[in-house]
Amino acid sequence: MLEIKKVSKYYGTKRALDQVNLCLPQGEIIGLFGENGAGKTTLMKCILNYVRYSGEITLDGQPINRKNIARISFATCEHSFFPTLTPQAHKEFYQLHFPRFDARRFTGLMDFFALPLHKAVKHFSAGQKNQFEVILALSQGADYILMDEPFAGNDVFNREDFYKVLLGILEPHESVLLSTHLLEEVENFISRALLIRQGNIVGDISMLELDESGKSLLDFVKETYHYQADRVRKALRDLTGEE
Amino acid sequence: MKIEFSKYVPVGISHREEVQWIGTALLLAFFYSLKFFIAYGQGYNALFYRQNSQKIFFQDAYMPDFVVLLGHSLTGFAIIALTMLGLIAYHYAFHYQGSKSIYLMKRLPSRWELWRRCLSIPLTTMLLCLLLSILLLLIYYAFYMLITPAQCLPPAQWQTLWQVWMGGI
Repeated sequence: MLEIKKVSKYYGTKRALDQVNLCLPQGEIIGLFGENGAGKTTLMKCILNYVRYSGEITLDGQPINRKNIARISFATCEHSFFPTLTPQAHKEFYQLHFPRFDARRFTGLMDFFALPLHKAVKHFSAGQKNQFEVILALSQGADYILMDEPFAGNDVFNREDFYKVLLGILEPHESVLLSTHLLEEVENFISRALLIRQGNIVGDISMLELDESGKSLLDFVKETYHYQADRVRKALRDLTGEE
Repeated sequence: MKIEFSKYVPVGISHREEVQWIGTALLLAFFYSLKFFIAYGQGYNALFYRQNSQKIFFQDAYMPDFVVLLGHSLTGFAIIALTMLGLIAYHYAFHYQGSKSIYLMKRLPSRWELWRRCLSIPLTTMLLCLLLSILLLLIYYAFYMLITPAQCLPPAQWQTLWQVWMGGI
């Protein structure tokens, strides 16, 4: 269980997270949604101890430190691989540092996405780089896989394939926290949705509850965000002067 | 014992290239330090004149102080040591080039992996610069004391050296 208790983070005087409380159990795929600057990336950075924060984040009751950090992996759209290294060299590096590295999964996913093993990652296309970033995160042997907009730059077919593969390969103890703007795409693939706005968790709902209420994820997000449906009409009227 | 230098540089940096550059710089610093012998030769030749190919020492002729002859001969090593601060910064910044591999390095279970890769070669080079400077200082000092004729040797050279250096600080 990954527990986040009263976590706040300020960048100077700007509040990025405000007393966030969350519980992420094992075996869930959780979507993290919010507008740009809402605090999605900051929340992940706090979990990984990349930034200082106030509050408490624990993994099975223990603070996250070097002893248990291997249980969390991270795939980011900024990429955390070594660009001059080949996937094969990455595999060796990960095997050296992460004892639970899943070489079988790594090879399987590399084959699935048809990524070359012996070509420096810097020569990959943008989409291939994203795929490789995600493959590393999934193969690390982590229980919690944090993904921060990992599919930015991938075409829709790639993303669709990826969701299917992800659903197929995840073990019951593995959880994914997926930050993305692609609400409709992930709707059928996540089990829970978290909404973050201005550093606050403003929505937390299981997809089962959402199904029962007969709403779509997009409806839920719009409702929670108090989306003004007529803002486009108003803007056009102001801009064009036409009714 | 074979040292795997690749473990001591950031992943993706050519350790061979880095070691070669540092080796070349140390060699150049060493060659530069040899200018002590040029200064020494000039000071030594000024102690005497030749008559019928015989050395005749001037009366009250003294060698210039060791510290004067040493001059800035060892400066090369100090410059290399300072440059290593830049290399540390470069090693760290390298993890932001082309990607943010710093994210991976910071979440490795091995606490010292990032720092080992950023600091090892620069700190070793700094230490090497210090040791080479001390070694060459001692060698040049021994040379000065042994080769300079006793009657031309100014007194208290070691103390003078430190007085000048400490005064400079």
